[in-house]
Amino acid sequence: MSQLYLFALASQNNRWLSARQAAVAGNVANANTPGYKAQEVAPFEQTMSSVSTELTATNSRHMALGDTRRTGTTDTTTKVEWETTHSGNSVSLEQELINAGEINRSYRLNTSVVKSFHRMMLNSMKV
Amino acid sequence: MADPLQSILKVGAAGLEAQSTRMRVLSENIANANSTGNTPGADPYTRKVVSFESQIDDVEQTATVRVAGIDAATTPYKLEYMPGHPAADQKGFVKLPNVDVMTEVADMREANRSYEANLQIIKQARDMINMTIDMLRSS
Repeated sequence: MSQLYLFALASQNNRWLSARQAAVAGNVANANTPGYKAQEVAPFEQTMSSVSTELTATNSRHMALGDTRRTGTTDTTTKVEWETTHSGNSVSLEQELINAGEINRSYRLNTSVVKSFHRMMLNSMKV
Repeated sequence: MADPLQSILKVGAAGLEAQSTRMRVLSENIANANSTGNTPGADPYTRKVVSFESQIDDVEQTATVRVAGIDAATTPYKLEYMPGHPAADQKGFVKLPNVDVMTEVADMREANRSYEANLQIIKQARDMINMTIDMLRSS
């Protein structure tokens, strides 16, 4: 049971990381757009707690319960910015690239954990 | 809803396109930094400015970017005393383009930096997709 839960957790975290990376990509693309405010995805703890109990539809984009493809992982909010330029743009390229690197690293960790557990399970089935 | 990793590639590509449009306009400005008219009192080349705007993709719900417009700058032309020039007016003044090469070069640097950042994001997204595919690989 705990191992199966690990797979679910890893894929959920990866889904969240992908949504986060999409937010970062949007921020970087709009790094020179006047008045653009940098976006951020809600923390994973929050999406986890909303998944374990019941999905609360606080947003019109929320999907009905039972569809686990999108468990509130793409709720974006304006984030705490490092700097705001004169044009009203709050994207810091450095901050975004640091985030992108961190997301990539976490994603790699998740896939590696899943891979090694999968290998363990396969090994246990061998003679 | 589409896969966020796929939408990253789309967003990144939009960013690359916007920045290369900017780069193209900057190079036009620099190329025409000395383009005057050829009739007396004629207006020279006018500096062009690119503006960006963020656009929400209906399918992906992510913010892509697009070029909102390429407009003529409103800064006044420089005047230089060059009697005998085809574009000189009665007093001998020729209107030169309102292009400041230093500004253009600085802008180019910024465009370059933004382009690189977009490229980096695309690379990372591709990496993530590869990692997912690699989970299937038995080794």
